[in-house]
Amino acid sequence: MNKDWLEISDEGVNVQEIMRRIRERIARRDGMVFSGDTENPISVADALWQEMIEDLSGEQGASPTLSIRRRDCDIVPRHYVIDWRIPILGPIHAVVRRIINDEIRRYLMSSLRKQSSLNRRVVQLLRDLEQENARLRQEIEDLRRTQE
Amino acid sequence: MAIQVHQFHPTVSYGDAVGNHVLSIQRLLRRLGYRSEIFCEHLPTHFEGRARQITQYARYSSPGNILVLHFSLGYSQEVMDWLEQIPDRKVVLYHNITPHTYFAGINDVYLEAAQAGRQQLRQLSTLTEEGWGVSEYNCRELAEHGWTRLGVLPIVFDPARYTARPNRKVLKRWQGGLNVLFVGRISPNKRFEDLILAFYYLKRFVRPDARLLLVGSAHGLEHYLEFLQALVKRLNLSDVVFTGHVSSSELTAYYRCASLYLSMSEHEGFGVPLLESMYFGVPIVAYRAAALPETLDGSGVLVTSKHYAAVAELIGLLVEDDALRGRIIARQRERLQDFLPEGVEVQLRRLLHRLGV
Repeated sequence: MNKDWLEISDEGVNVQEIMRRIRERIARRDGMVFSGDTENPISVADALWQEMIEDLSGEQGASPTLSIRRRDCDIVPRHYVIDWRIPILGPIHAVVRRIINDEIRRYLMSSLRKQSSLNRRVVQLLRDLEQENARLRQEIEDLRRTQE
Repeated sequence: MAIQVHQFHPTVSYGDAVGNHVLSIQRLLRRLGYRSEIFCEHLPTHFEGRARQITQYARYSSPGNILVLHFSLGYSQEVMDWLEQIPDRKVVLYHNITPHTYFAGINDVYLEAAQAGRQQLRQLSTLTEEGWGVSEYNCRELAEHGWTRLGVLPIVFDPARYTARPNRKVLKRWQGGLNVLFVGRISPNKRFEDLILAFYYLKRFVRPDARLLLVGSAHGLEHYLEFLQALVKRLNLSDVVFTGHVSSSELTAYYRCASLYLSMSEHEGFGVPLLESMYFGVPIVAYRAAALPETLDGSGVLVTSKHYAAVAELIGLLVEDDALRGRIIARQRERLQDFLPEGVEVQLRRLLHRLGV
């Protein structure tokens, strides 16, 4: 936090004093760790972004003909959230849905994981074959040219 | 016969920033004595009577007309062809387009549309006489794309649009405690993950009673919403509320419940929720990016880097310090006056005068 971190355009407000108070408050909390916090939240966000979004964007254009991406291979609903908006009945409804969802998941998850894994292997295999095919075509082309 | 100044936008709807702006500009134009209609490529049924399809434009078309083209997303090829054919004088009013890179890995259709929209800007610069932006920030981008005659026509803030009685259910549920509010589409340029991280510090270390109210639709960006929900879950955070799309009475209620408006957005062509916060007397803390400093113009509070712990402490301070909060709200109210219809009307009249109409 540099000295120009805060901007309040009001002559009646002492920005430096506010900054001092903020620094003081941060220093007071220094070393406070909550029992549930095992990881740095920024690292958690970065890792999750990497896992859920960046991996997928990096894949774009990996192959112009085979446009199947890892997102499409993975059919496991890992981040499905059951929440509520309606007061009183909402939480009850959400609890019921969560119980049903957990029961269904118990049977389905292992199959979905196996299927996702198979999907990934098949896509990888297709990509390898595509590359091999391109290499062989190039080789044939080179041989043809040398014979001519 | 009255001079005709018409407007075009691919589609219009109530409640979105561009749609509201189009309607407000029409009101101002008519007040100034111009004949003014709104034309769309896709006309929603609830807008019939208030706007017309571009197929009907032939009846109005004339070399003496001014046609204001609102540009916030790419036009179809049909529209580009139509614009080339009609003899009317044209002006672009640029609302800005989110840089396409934000949509990588999230929505390929949006990514391509944003990319295509920016490419069309250069083409539009050859079809239009002037480039107007809703902010200086947007005008700078127009200049980069070839416009030389530029003008600012800011978003009109019409208080009459916020007279809906606040939704009682929302008030009952969220009023009281510390509510940090953000309003806007769940889009990656708005950096919701930064809001969540700042809230993490606020909730854990400063105010355990705090709530984060995120008001806006995730339509088309569900994969980003999934990431945000997963982040909230992974951080074991409670009281983060994604409301989805809300009605105008619900929106009013959320502003009434808000203790503070927090923006960590990295790209905004204007920032209408800032005006709404000014109107509802909600102090604003915003990350200094894109057009936001210009919209605030010295009101609200700006931070120049995303120091989450410091943002959390700043929120704590602002909520506790009544005198400081009062000064900020008063300054915001002053700034809002610049966006009221009377103020924008003067700017519109000046721009039209420059065009000789």
